[in-house]
Amino acid sequence: MFFGGDGDYQFSNDPLDTAYHIDESKIHVFTVPSEEDTIYGLFLGDFSQMENDTIIYYLHGNGSSMDVFWSTVAVLANLGEQHRYGVVMYDYRGYGKSTGTTQNAATMAADYDAVLKWMEDRGLTSDRMVVMANSLGSLPAGPAAAGGSRITIEKLIMEVPQSSADVIMQNATGLSLPSSMITEYNFDLGKNMEDYPGELLWMHAQEDEVAPVETARGAMQRHNGTYYREEVYPNAGHGLRWDIGNEEWMRVIHEFILH
Amino acid sequence: MSYKPFMKKSIWVILAACIASCTPTKIVVPLEEGQWQTGATLGRPQINTGSLPLLGVYAAKGMSATTTAYGAAQLSSALFGTVQLDAGMVKGIRPSQGFTPGFSFSYGGNLFVSSRDFATRIYPEAGANMFWQQGPHILNVSANSWLDPTWFLAEYGIGQIFAPSFGAGYRLRYKWLELQAEYKLVNPTREIHIPQASVPSTLGLGGRGLYWGAAINF
Repeated sequence: MFFGGDGDYQFSNDPLDTAYHIDESKIHVFTVPSEEDTIYGLFLGDFSQMENDTIIYYLHGNGSSMDVFWSTVAVLANLGEQHRYGVVMYDYRGYGKSTGTTQNAATMAADYDAVLKWMEDRGLTSDRMVVMANSLGSLPAGPAAAGGSRITIEKLIMEVPQSSADVIMQNATGLSLPSSMITEYNFDLGKNMEDYPGELLWMHAQEDEVAPVETARGAMQRHNGTYYREEVYPNAGHGLRWDIGNEEWMRVIHEFILH
Repeated sequence: MSYKPFMKKSIWVILAACIASCTPTKIVVPLEEGQWQTGATLGRPQINTGSLPLLGVYAAKGMSATTTAYGAAQLSSALFGTVQLDAGMVKGIRPSQGFTPGFSFSYGGNLFVSSRDFATRIYPEAGANMFWQQGPHILNVSANSWLDPTWFLAEYGIGQIFAPSFGAGYRLRYKWLELQAEYKLVNPTREIHIPQASVPSTLGLGGRGLYWGAAINF
């Protein structure tokens, strides 16, 4: 179902605005085992930060590899001030240099957990973790938030998430066909949000043609947790950060983290 | 940021968009009584700037001078683990005479069964054809709609009872051979969303596709 692309992991400051530069000493590519496969991850920050400071665990969208999301995590690392937050992201199986193939919810959950264990071993705790999921990243984030995370998620950011596998099928066919007609990957973020007790920020674009806003709203508004905030932007598409600009994107995310 | 490089990752959804309501019109002019027709259809629904090949096979028999029964299987759906069958009847109302068009109507049903969890859906359909026949040449315009009796099972209220399509085509029915070409507008009553793919639409609604068929008569 998913086909990862190549990744060269040349994380350079050259393409970044100077405001979002990352000190080279704070750029760490690492690997962790996930079942029989090897997952490649990227940590921005100091390892000591893992024991003391807030870490943003970024689950990237359906790009070929972490290379595509380098500029995004660089911005996240510099929210508020330079190098304020540690950021971790990784490539799902079959993306970038990660081996294997992403097939279903089980493989995605295993990869999520493998990287989280790497962070847990270095001292990360629930009260200092923010999970941010972009588009495809919402698929592993949903079940994790609903109790499937070894470190409990207390703050979750869903950026242009999908809603469910059935909705994708039904939006594509115009019929009430269930997703099981074409895939074993059945996810339901609405159900996950019902079971997630923590804080949720949902960011979406009104003109999103990849993840339609109406069904995403239906799923996110099923959230029953302690705090809910939604930001839906008119005249914006699935590439939300590019459409609304870094300033607004950072403002909302940082307010939520500090909430 | 461009998402085009990632289109291949959602190919399963793209094809899913087409296994359903993109099936071509099989019989426009009823066969002669006792006549059989077997053929293959190749649908090419448009996605992004290209199109996708979707293969099906069918058989039809003239039950009387005005009634033809047909049955079909969509082979492309089988690749995804879904059994997709359809069957129905085409009834001639009147033949074409000169520039005066002939008319026929059709009704039938479509069955989907998932091999993963045996989820089953049945969609009745009905349609009407207007055609002009001059010797072996047949021109047609057709309207068809699937009925979704389980529209309420679609999540977040996105289900619709009717899934219409409109097509125009040409058929060459010469002795034992029939060749078919048809252009269809599919589901023009709703937006079709496929992650990371662009579906050419009509005024922002539905999809489009070109369909080919080849059959033998005996």
